[in-house]
Amino acid sequence: MKDRMSTNKKIKQGIMYVVLTIVAVYTLFPIYFLFVNSFKSQKEIVASPISLPSSWDLTFLKNAAEQIKLGESVINTLVITVVAVALIVLISSMTAWMMVRNKTKGSTFLFLCFTAAMLIPFQSVMYPLVSLMENLGLKNTFGLILMYGGFGLSMTVFLYHGFFKGVPLSLEEAAVIDGANIFQLFFKVVFPLVKPITATVVITNAMWIWNDYLLPFLIIGNNDSKTLTLSLYYAKSLSGQYGNPWELIFPAVLICVIPILVVFIFLQKNIIEGIAAGAVKG
Amino acid sequence: MEKYYKKWFKVLSLPAVILFVVVILLPFIMGVAYSFTAWRGSYFKGSEHWYGALVGLKNYIKVFHSQKFISALIYTIKFTLVAVIVKNVVSLALALMVRRIGKGIFRTVFFFPNLLGGLAMGFVWSFIFQNVFSLMLFSEDSPIHIPFLCNMLQDPNKAVFAMAIMATWQTAGYLMLIYLNGLNNIPEDLYEAASIDGATPLQQFRHITVPMLMPAFTIVFFLTLSSSFKMLDENLALTNGDFGTRMLSLQILLTTRENTPPNYGMAQAQAVIFFVLIAVVSIAQVIITKRKEIEA
Repeated sequence: MKDRMSTNKKIKQGIMYVVLTIVAVYTLFPIYFLFVNSFKSQKEIVASPISLPSSWDLTFLKNAAEQIKLGESVINTLVITVVAVALIVLISSMTAWMMVRNKTKGSTFLFLCFTAAMLIPFQSVMYPLVSLMENLGLKNTFGLILMYGGFGLSMTVFLYHGFFKGVPLSLEEAAVIDGANIFQLFFKVVFPLVKPITATVVITNAMWIWNDYLLPFLIIGNNDSKTLTLSLYYAKSLSGQYGNPWELIFPAVLICVIPILVVFIFLQKNIIEGIAAGAVKG
Repeated sequence: MEKYYKKWFKVLSLPAVILFVVVILLPFIMGVAYSFTAWRGSYFKGSEHWYGALVGLKNYIKVFHSQKFISALIYTIKFTLVAVIVKNVVSLALALMVRRIGKGIFRTVFFFPNLLGGLAMGFVWSFIFQNVFSLMLFSEDSPIHIPFLCNMLQDPNKAVFAMAIMATWQTAGYLMLIYLNGLNNIPEDLYEAASIDGATPLQQFRHITVPMLMPAFTIVFFLTLSSSFKMLDENLALTNGDFGTRMLSLQILLTTRENTPPNYGMAQAQAVIFFVLIAVVSIAQVIITKRKEIEA
């Protein structure tokens, strides 16, 4: 009886293994596909899209890099992402900390406002926002960073709020008695304690801002200082009047994907754990 | 200490409050107000100020008579229904299997597409649907000829599934992580006790796994509902909204470009309706699943 149970179990496990492997291959297929077609000419892509390229020709990648002004776009995207994420982390964590420590009606109301704002979709405020920013002289990269700061706020405050509730007050009291000022207290005592949720916050916000299309499209449009995704969009839409130029699109997409791939390979464990930590609290 | 925190509360939360007011609250209020005016983007028709250009409910009446808006609304609801079901079934099935196998590599692989941009990968998927599916794998000359999987992007009903296939490919790994977390929080002895009492695996799933997973269902339903309803990048990259496949986000974006002079007032009325729909559905969903959580 027991033997039959275990062979039964083994067969089940084997089936699951096969199913999961098929799904994994399916999941990676578009990436493989993107990779091999970044080295092919238009003719070869259409004729044999699945096979390996006849030669590992770098001309298409070079051409795509030129078309999307690779260096400039990467630097723009990087600056926007890094500064915006830093801004979000800094102001959200301090606000959430203060909301947890100072339990007045005012702070509860503020928390309620932030939480409710998570329901507001970007599309509902984008037109007035762009018009407001134009009037303030902020329809530029700096304004873009501020806007990401505002949109990242609600969710991030919410995540930090949940986490700070578990941080004991006694540590902070001791530090204040020892003569720490508020910034020392925050950066040396409090902030290091919430590292796991900071990892989550950094990853989710960085991912979203790096890949975002709509906000840069509305703010920057077809001007200089485009982000990577925006350059890709214009490269495709401006050259696509006579069918899709796949020998440009595939290498350009690959260039957009490579930085993410590299970061993921190095930080995959932290990223997956960080996302899981956020999921529990969220 | 209380006084100390009270003193600093105002100072430290000030930057967040300013950003919140400028980026979200003010544009939101402006947006609601402007939806009742003849707003043209850079000016108000016939006045210096928005309150001089009020047109009452005219924009909303126009919106509900707009064939494009109504079809985008129906199409968005269709897509959301299909996408929420497919995403949930796939991610839960993956979570159940990955938990039994327990290999980290599967988690990593399934999660990866979540990091990639919807627009960038949408271009790749559009080629896969057009060329690989339609002309090779499932074409008439192929041994596995499946007409449903051919030319999916040119038919509004098939395109719902094409977009759902891509959206599931992107998010299933992330949602799986949430379900995995939920599954790991179920005490193993519940299953042991149940199998001693002679419960079949199906009964165990129905009476232990599902009720214990309710908190995860709340989160995943919330995330999938709102992200499917708001989807833009994939819609833009895969079909560009052609062949009757335009969803609401794209409709709001294109409204200002399809009228001369650009009718921002009408676009904003759609944006307000869009907000109300998302808010009502999300709140209703959270209340319903929360109630189930308590019952369970």
